[in-house]
Amino acid sequence: MYAMLLYIDGGGVVMVKKSDMAQYVNITIDGKNCIGKQGDTILQIARANDVYIPTLCYLSKVKPIASCRMCLVEIQGSEGVVLSCQERAVEGTVITTDSKMLYKHRQNIMKLFGVNHPLECGVCDKSGECDLQNKTLEFDVATQNFCAKESDKKVENWGFISYDPSLCIVCEKCVRICNEIVGESILEVAVGGYKSRIINTNKEADCSNCGECMAVCPVGALTNSEFKYSSNAWELERIPATCVHCSSGCPLYYEVKPSSTANREESIYRVTNPFEFSSLCGAGRFAYDFANKDAKKDKEAFTRALKAFEGAKSIRFSANITNEEALILQKLKEKKGYKLICDEARNYQKFLAAYSMVSGKSLYSGDLATLKDSDAIIIFGTRINDDNPMVKYHISMASKWHRARVAYLHPMEDVSMSKIVTQFIKYEVGSEEGVVALLANAFLSDLRLSDAVKEYLESLDVGNLSAESNVGEEELEGLVNSFEKKNTFSFVIGADLYAHPRAQEIAKVLALFEKYLDCNVILTPPASNALGVALICNLDDEDVNEQSIGYNVKGDFTLGSLGEVDLDMPALNQQEGTLTTIDKRVVATHVALPFGGYVLNDIANALGLETEYTIDYTKELPKRSGYKAVEFDTLNHEFSKEGNDIRGYLLETKDVKIDEIFEEIEELPAYDGGVVYWCNEGIHFTYNTLYKYPASKYLKGSKQFAVAMKISDGEELIFENEKRQYRRIFKLDETMKGTIAITSSVTEPLEVSSFKNYRYTLMKLQEDGVIR
Amino acid sequence: MNGDVEMNEKQRYITLDLGGAPMTPWCRFKRVVKRTFRIELFIGLWVTIREMFKTLFMGKSHTTKYPFEKMPISSRYRAIHDMLRLLESGHYRCIGCGLCEKICISNCIAMETRYDENQRKEVSGYTINFGRCIFCGYCAEVCPELAIVHGARYETASEQRASFSLFEDMLTPIDKLKEQKEFEGYGAPSPWADKNIKKTPLAY
Ligand code: SF4
Ligand code: SF4
Ligand code: SF4
Ligand code: SF4
Ligand code: SF4
Ligand code: FES
Repeated sequence: MYAMLLYIDGGGVVMVKKSDMAQYVNITIDGKNCIGKQGDTILQIARANDVYIPTLCYLSKVKPIASCRMCLVEIQGSEGVVLSCQERAVEGTVITTDSKMLYKHRQNIMKLFGVNHPLECGVCDKSGECDLQNKTLEFDVATQNFCAKESDKKVENWGFISYDPSLCIVCEKCVRICNEIVGESILEVAVGGYKSRIINTNKEADCSNCGECMAVCPVGALTNSEFKYSSNAWELERIPATCVHCSSGCPLYYEVKPSSTANREESIYRVTNPFEFSSLCGAGRFAYDFANKDAKKDKEAFTRALKAFEGAKSIRFSANITNEEALILQKLKEKKGYKLICDEARNYQKFLAAYSMVSGKSLYSGDLATLKDSDAIIIFGTRINDDNPMVKYHISMASKWHRARVAYLHPMEDVSMSKIVTQFIKYEVGSEEGVVALLANAFLSDLRLSDAVKEYLESLDVGNLSAESNVGEEELEGLVNSFEKKNTFSFVIGADLYAHPRAQEIAKVLALFEKYLDCNVILTPPASNALGVALICNLDDEDVNEQSIGYNVKGDFTLGSLGEVDLDMPALNQQEGTLTTIDKRVVATHVALPFGGYVLNDIANALGLETEYTIDYTKELPKRSGYKAVEFDTLNHEFSKEGNDIRGYLLETKDVKIDEIFEEIEELPAYDGGVVYWCNEGIHFTYNTLYKYPASKYLKGSKQFAVAMKISDGEELIFENEKRQYRRIFKLDETMKGTIAITSSVTEPLEVSSFKNYRYTLMKLQEDGVIR
Repeated sequence: MNGDVEMNEKQRYITLDLGGAPMTPWCRFKRVVKRTFRIELFIGLWVTIREMFKTLFMGKSHTTKYPFEKMPISSRYRAIHDMLRLLESGHYRCIGCGLCEKICISNCIAMETRYDENQRKEVSGYTINFGRCIFCGYCAEVCPELAIVHGARYETASEQRASFSLFEDMLTPIDKLKEQKEFEGYGAPSPWADKNIKKTPLAY
């Protein structure tokens, strides 16, 4: 039976069963009957039901800060007032959000916030979107009757961010976000009455430069030093879009306005985001200037392109394309028989296929929302903060809110995760197949398993694997014990494994965790739209040296948005289309800046496909892979009132035929000597982010590595990988240990971030001074 | 017919005795001579003659020798904008707040600002498209700094609209700073503004 109880969830109305009613609470706010989930605060219920309660320090994506007291409400029948932002609703309470007393109270709070606040709205970046400005007007503070002795407060510049303590109202939002979500805990409050301010404990060494603190600052205290004073908020036009740098596909807005008084062509001034509910990393927030500007419709180049397409046998491309473009390429393949080569997505596609064979589902089970609510997490085969910062943020939330146990399995220690990780397990490079087998053995052997799995686990020579991979049996035991009594178990998998020589075998064993432990497994896609490409294109392996077209990678004829190309293509912020995110969600992105040249669809049309706009393909994305026949223009770009991600739509997971065949583990390879790990550190993912992170032509290694390879700090070295030569400057990093050095895989345009081959390369010093 | 008669009676038309119209050429000639030499003519011309004497012999004239001379205009007249400077420092008054740009009803103000070396907001570009400006005066009225005001330049014939529209064109030339007049039109503080000022509480 359904009761007459409607709960608004994620934008839709949910009928609640009578038996589930205990999960909900009924309260009355200002005479309106409101329904919320058990455990929700009064404020959450009010917001979900469109009742306004003024707040200043409340930020929905962190736990209540409760520092401003603006959200006070009265509860009928009880003396005094409560803070609605942190008070959980109790069934049947009757609440008043506004009264003469409350108004007076709030007015006084605003007067106090205004004490000594510089009257500089005229120049302040925040003017027009400032909470202090808004609330001061809302509570009609026309005069100030308080004052305090002013202290000397100097503007500080922290990398991309500038902090003006005289504008700071010490609401603590920035401190909380840096701690709870970003997981860096770099900011602190220095308490001291009117001298209170925020201190950056890491001024010299850069923080992760994510700019989250700046995004949530309700006033103009934390601002973007590049954007500073360049425009008022209201002059900018907001283009809803999706970040294109990594597979998290975070929602953002490109804010555009004419470039100058003389040049009325628009340019992007800054990136903002729905910061109440979602976050960005530094790449999304600061690396937005990658548009292919000034491209013209070059008819001759277009004719040459068509000719090249007629003669080409294969199309090589990077996975930083939209779903629609991927579909165009797939259609061209069907029509003209091109081979589709996308190294970034191909390995991932095969990995996913092998995974599905065991899990029985076309997609992995996990998503970020569940990850943040987990209390036991394993990270395996990825340097996660560099590969996908948003995954790290969600692990950080789990760690802060659910005291999650976080086990990090990797050959290299990672300082950026040290504040979150509870157990680091180091394994030998190349031994991943052994490690996953050991994990499966430790976690699964006591469960009821199918015969094939049982047989596989029994055949393992645990002692030997443990010795070879360097993962101690006690370590694993400790891990399993610490996961006992935990409710939600997440497993984050990354790019080290996709290109592993034994990737498919690893994938099959990993799938057991989803199947038998009901684990939230996330196969982090290795590039922005690797998942989309993997689901849409029938990719090919063979890349014989035939005539090829390159799309954002080098080909005999190269199309691309950056670098030396034969035909200019729009960058991803000049296109509309959809992307498939790590959450298996199809989200839309829109045109921030115009593009004057030809797009892929023009070429496709000239080659015989007939579709007017690229986005006409949105509804044709393959149903067999879980896409839906949805028109581009109907895709939603907003979050629900409760803060749930309801952008676009979720892919449908299909059932796949199960085929549990496990191969015997191959002998674990030995990587003795100097090893290079291909990893784009910090806020660097693709060439598009490089301009924000110029120092990446280095190879960073420990002293031990330097000794082993006989190189010294600052020396240039040349080495080869995948038939290509790389030049790097060696940089000695005292904080690093071991013989694995890190280098960026993308230092030039038209290079892609992930490789066809395994992510670690053994280096040998050659006699001619070249390292191979 | 009856109606017409009644109306005439009601309206009480009076027929004036103008004497008979001159019938013969001689009579006509006599009338011309009479009208010409009667004194009324000189009464009519008196003002002209007086001013002629003043101009010719006393050097007092009402003619404005435009374009060498111009009429003074009211401070409320809204002509091409001026950008004023601070009298003390000579720095332009505009703080780059963008309110004029926002309020402009015909969307003809474009501005550019940046973070300068002294950590201040610099106005790096400012133009008004006078092809679209309707001289409504909103910009001058909203400006919190009395930086943008309407000046007295009403001759807007030019080879190019752009001729007046740059910041430099509107800004008081630095050597003419002494001659810069305070604006009294819309948006200027009222003469009794001092009375409305309240004391800010200060701790020191
Ligand atoms: S922080 Fe807000 S109130 Fe303060 S100067 Fe900036 S806009 Fe005005
Ligand atoms: S810097 Fe901004 S977010 Fe941080 S405490 Fe100050 S006002 Fe709040
Ligand atoms: S930029 Fe990010 S990491 Fe740095 S202080 Fe702000 S929130 Fe913390
Ligand atoms: S006078 Fe009116 S139309 Fe002209 S610039 Fe000012 S606000 Fe705009
Ligand atoms: S309103 Fe005045 S101070 Fe503000 S930008 Fe315009 S001219 Fe400058
Ligand atoms: S919003 Fe509740 S105390 Fe600030």
